[in-house]
Amino acid sequence: MRIGVFICHCGSNIGGTVDCAKVAALAATFPDVVYATDPMYTCAEPGQAAIEEAIKNYQLDGVVVASCSPRMHEPTFRRTVERAGLNRYMFEMANIREHVSWIGKDIEANTNKAAELVKMAVAKLRNNKALHAASFDVNKKVLVIGGGVAGIQAALDCAEGGIPVVLVEREATIGGKMAKLDKTFPTVDCSACILGPKMVDVAQSPNITTYAYSEIESISGYVGNFTVTIRKKTTYVDWSKCTGCGACTEKCPSKKTPDAFNEVTGLTTAITIAFPQAIPKKAVINAQHCKKLLTGKCGVCAKTCPTGAINYEMKDELVTETVGAIVAATGYDLVDWTQYEQYGGGRYPDVITSLQYERLLSASGPTGGHIVRPSDGKEPKNVVFIQCVGSRDRSIGRPYCSGFCCMYTAKQAVLTKDHMPDSQSYVFYMDIRANGKLYDEFQRRAVEEYGTEYIRGRVSKIYPDGKGHLIVKGADTLLGQAVEVEADLVVLAVGVEAAKGAARLAEKLRISYDSYGFFMESHVKLKPVETNTAGVYLAGVCQGVKDIPASVAQGSAAAAKVLSLFSKDKLQSDPQISQVDIKRCIACGKCVQTCPFGAIELFDFRGQQKARVIETVCQGCGLCTATCPQGAIQLAHFTDNQILAEVDALCQC
Amino acid sequence: MSIVYYPGCSAAGTSSDYEKSTQAVCDALGMSFTPLPDWNCCGSTPAHATSTELSAALSVRNLDIAAKMGAEKVATPCPSCLSNLRLAKKRMEKPEFRARVDELLDEASSAELPQTYSVMQLIYEKYGSEFVAHRVQRPLKGLKVACYYGCLMSRPADIMADFGHPENPQVMESLLRACGAEVVEFPLKTECCGASHGIPERQLTANLSGKILETAQNMGIDALVAACPLCQMNLDLRQKQAGKAMGKEFALPVFYYTQMMGMAFGIKLSALGLNKLVVSPEPVLKKWQAALKEGVCE
Amino acid sequence: MSVLAGKELRIVGFLCNWCSYGGADTAGVARATQPTDLRIVRVPCSGRIDPLFILRALLHGADGVLVSGCHPGDCHYAEGNYYARRRLEILKQFLPVLGIDPRRFEYTWISASEGQRWQLAVTKFTQQIHELGAAPAFENAEKLIQIADMALTALRPLGTGQHAALADLKKAIVEKLPELDCVIGWQQSYDAAHSAPLFMRKPEDVEKLVWGPLNVNNLATYLPQYKGKKVGIVVKGCDSRSVTQLLQEGLINRDDVVVFSMPCEGTLDMARINQALGAYQHIDKVAYDEAGVSITADGKEHRFCMVEYAQGKCYSCATPGAVLADVRLGTPTPVTGTPATPPELALLDSMSLSERFAFWHTQMERCIRCYACRNACPMCVCRDYCVAESRDPHWLTQEDTATEKFFFQTIHALHLAGRCTGCGECQRACPVGIPILALRQQIARAVAQTFEGYRPGMNAKATPPLMGFTVEENNIKEKDWNK
Repeated sequence: MRIGVFICHCGSNIGGTVDCAKVAALAATFPDVVYATDPMYTCAEPGQAAIEEAIKNYQLDGVVVASCSPRMHEPTFRRTVERAGLNRYMFEMANIREHVSWIGKDIEANTNKAAELVKMAVAKLRNNKALHAASFDVNKKVLVIGGGVAGIQAALDCAEGGIPVVLVEREATIGGKMAKLDKTFPTVDCSACILGPKMVDVAQSPNITTYAYSEIESISGYVGNFTVTIRKKTTYVDWSKCTGCGACTEKCPSKKTPDAFNEVTGLTTAITIAFPQAIPKKAVINAQHCKKLLTGKCGVCAKTCPTGAINYEMKDELVTETVGAIVAATGYDLVDWTQYEQYGGGRYPDVITSLQYERLLSASGPTGGHIVRPSDGKEPKNVVFIQCVGSRDRSIGRPYCSGFCCMYTAKQAVLTKDHMPDSQSYVFYMDIRANGKLYDEFQRRAVEEYGTEYIRGRVSKIYPDGKGHLIVKGADTLLGQAVEVEADLVVLAVGVEAAKGAARLAEKLRISYDSYGFFMESHVKLKPVETNTAGVYLAGVCQGVKDIPASVAQGSAAAAKVLSLFSKDKLQSDPQISQVDIKRCIACGKCVQTCPFGAIELFDFRGQQKARVIETVCQGCGLCTATCPQGAIQLAHFTDNQILAEVDALCQC
Repeated sequence: MSIVYYPGCSAAGTSSDYEKSTQAVCDALGMSFTPLPDWNCCGSTPAHATSTELSAALSVRNLDIAAKMGAEKVATPCPSCLSNLRLAKKRMEKPEFRARVDELLDEASSAELPQTYSVMQLIYEKYGSEFVAHRVQRPLKGLKVACYYGCLMSRPADIMADFGHPENPQVMESLLRACGAEVVEFPLKTECCGASHGIPERQLTANLSGKILETAQNMGIDALVAACPLCQMNLDLRQKQAGKAMGKEFALPVFYYTQMMGMAFGIKLSALGLNKLVVSPEPVLKKWQAALKEGVCE
Repeated sequence: MSVLAGKELRIVGFLCNWCSYGGADTAGVARATQPTDLRIVRVPCSGRIDPLFILRALLHGADGVLVSGCHPGDCHYAEGNYYARRRLEILKQFLPVLGIDPRRFEYTWISASEGQRWQLAVTKFTQQIHELGAAPAFENAEKLIQIADMALTALRPLGTGQHAALADLKKAIVEKLPELDCVIGWQQSYDAAHSAPLFMRKPEDVEKLVWGPLNVNNLATYLPQYKGKKVGIVVKGCDSRSVTQLLQEGLINRDDVVVFSMPCEGTLDMARINQALGAYQHIDKVAYDEAGVSITADGKEHRFCMVEYAQGKCYSCATPGAVLADVRLGTPTPVTGTPATPPELALLDSMSLSERFAFWHTQMERCIRCYACRNACPMCVCRDYCVAESRDPHWLTQEDTATEKFFFQTIHALHLAGRCTGCGECQRACPVGIPILALRQQIARAVAQTFEGYRPGMNAKATPPLMGFTVEENNIKEKDWNK
């Protein structure tokens, strides 16, 4: 083998505390090294050109660059050697900047250490093999999980780009949390008016197939070729016949069914259409409250339905779809605030969540947009908003900020005044976080124009005074004194956590999630849409708390990632994956058992069981290599021999 | 030798009625304690306001005697003592802190100190409400009461986690319901009564206790039931001051939960120290006895 | 070029690419000053780190090895570090029996953002290694010969199986034989004082079957090569654990194996018997009684009492009866008390680290590299593909040094971690009598202590501890080191 070594000065970054010329001189004595030099800036254009030239002039078949971290410039130099005709994997880096020159000033020790790191890189390179990426077909169809605003945006953008979309929504209608909102900050636009057209676009797009009232059962496969099983939950209504006329909902006698869409602020019928603008606008029977399903007696809806769509015998149905990419947009749920016993733990009817308050504000809500107290139906005068209930609270394991509560609380205070000019709103807050476009201005308006009284401090207790009011007792940390407000209605800005079942879905998607259930992006700053599983992207609050514009932006970003993935007819797999030496494999299955990705399978090879790696599924972690006792499965580019060579270069000297 | 009893200073003074009724109830249930010999004050508020180590040293001295007796647990009726004893044990887990306390004590304290429990918790955990109900002879019929724990019985949350929700404990409610009383959910059950501020800042205590009494009275109850000597004193002895602060007149008897339990167990009223209550318990007793008689006629 | 004399020690780091290597980069970017001793090997995931890389480094001159991966829960590959945690923990508990100070190896979790934490970890670890000083070289170890004390009390009566239901066993085998390819048992070997495996195919073969304390071979070793055929096997309790372990690993099929079990009363330590008999021409007589065997060789009678001459493993044996069987004969043997530390391991426990190093060096110098230990092991299923004789991967050189030979023993022991049932065939097969079982026993002890008393070969349905993980490990306190 003929190896060339380049010891980069990186200006004075390395050259200042490492004797680069000496390292190059030492490197020239290492086995197989035929050329060693110490350029000023290796990554600069002339530096790269010098590498290419040296490869040609010295007939090099391997290159070591000692410079910065491979996490920084490995891709750069791989391209360089490739341009000169070498395989990109015949290249190694020694990190003599972050790991040497920047962490100490002792030139003698640094020079010695740098030379040893180069020696390790040379030793590894001598065991490197050329690797070649395989290519495979892409199924240009995308699955979007979750029909909230982020999922809708991703679906619409993909559909616009000509990609067939499968949209799966857990509830009976798409729209998500945004569909429940009355108005949106900071423009106080009607939520339904801006979301509605997008929902209609979904319904009308020929490229989008929507499975509402459905959940993901299982996912297998890999980027470009996923197979997804979808469970269509029982609606007891044949949606192919249902026209959404609503006749059944008018006649249904079970009128005391809690209304889930209205956040249980009101009652509805056992057969119901979530709300007038629902997409799809189809009826669903709530089996827990349907008389026919509970007692066998009733059947009014079946008699009423003009198209004969009601089917009490209906069962869940499984359908299979094949897609090439997946966008997870599963949104959020509210923290269970009833653990706050000091706020009544859910026992006081006039302590409600902000999402319930949205439904009270909404003209399509249970009260037709009139703000009334759940306890007695009277209009409240003093409304107290409490922020950070279930956010920024270590005591309940929710230390993070839910992000958008400051803004919607300001919006709700404004709307309260609009609805009831005689009312007075109070907001207990910790800090105001209003860092979006026009946000701070809006929040100031709530204070200055709408006379909302902001009190900086936490609420320690809410209790009924026995005369129909709630006493909200807290601290005003600006004045340094205790305060009590007599409230008619208390609205809690309940914090956000990942949607129920998010962790289960993450397991199916083989993506990571944090301790709160939020899905983990590939890189917290630079890859906020990708996940660690190729072909799976994130949009909306499922990845972390964000408001509507950010969710929409991430929905579009996920769509852009999908479209860019699908711009190629074939995908290249990373060749740094495990390979089975079929002679040595005894089919004990230990690799199959431990592979985190299900990327290894046993197969019949000329009458014998053997293991093989599914190239497109393997992510290259190398757990199998460390597990196989006879070393029959080796992770390419990190083989036992390559790592042993590095260890030996260090230890046997 | 399993449970050692630490009465606390109040038991020997202002709350002798609490002490008397606690002993009577425990006797009736068959719960026996070994008295802690040569005990000293836990230091109460003055000690921990001066120095954490001093407060711990005073508490640890008691715990150390108990440990040397081979005690598994220490029982105390007083929430303030409970808090000090528990905190001291917890703080002693840190070697540096332990070293400073041992320095004050002039000797190395036992490596393993017993944990402290309120008598209420021990009764509840050992017997449960079912057994208590079984023991009742004269149920507290017709009495509508509210339970008031004070701020220390269930807090701080991390050291009292085994007692229940720090903001909404339910132990006293269960016990009194078992005794036949109608117990209303009292939202201010863990609010502060003003505690020892009653001496230096009388108005503050009057305000805080007044708020508790006002809310309680609005709930239409016959009596408030307390579990802390200092709380009981603030709410009972200072009820006139509290009324003045609120611009109201209160006449709400404030019992100890042990007095209520003792009544239900059929213990002689004189053995429960009811005569020590400042706001007269007479109306409550009359209502109760009338209800009991009614029951007999039925 | 070598370590800067007197200034640096040789410290090797294995860091996962995604978290810890990034953390080390972050420390560099922040110009966080660190000692210069450490050299980092970059791997994709801490799950890629074969504990043997670490042993290789430690046996070949490294003074310390530091491993760092993503925090549990944050693995780039979802689960790699959970597996790593278990494997590295067992390695750490294995090092002392070899004579290596466990403080020379630490593992921790550092994320890509924790540059400062990395700086502290490197500084702390380097300081720790400097306090320990340069690691002693295995090749320079002094001579030390010690022999395990076999004066032990057994957990159940030891005997010679004189009242065993051998006739019933033979009858049962003859009955089952028509459905089976063969039944494996024991027969007399070259003389009456030794036994050998017996492969019964015809009813007349069954007559040769013997039962007694000379039946030392673990016949489970032969089972994997019969995979796919129906075979019967006669087992002692210890052998049955090997059968169970083979079943657990899918190396044999349950439906293909018929297990015949007899309660074992103990087996003789043939190494000591042969030593006592010395060189002889002819065995005149072998007489059994309940307590032992009298062997007359060349006219001289030797008396071997079971309580004195049983194999080390028999004293602490708690499974004289089979853990699984299709045909059970005889009455179960009662077992009382809990097993004491096996004698080989007890010997090592009594030594200091440097004594252990010296002990092993002395022993390993005698190793003739015959691999009989491996060939006798029922769990060594790699057989012809053992890494000992392969160039790709090239774990072992053919260099004739005690270090290479010792390294092979550590490979064998670690490959058996969580799998070894302690049958002791490796040690029994060793022609030069090296007490290598102690290495496996230490790992078995570590596995039991770390994984809630897990014992390999007791349950064919269990997941071996090193092939699984739990998100929270009750008995692994790896976070304590780098608080």
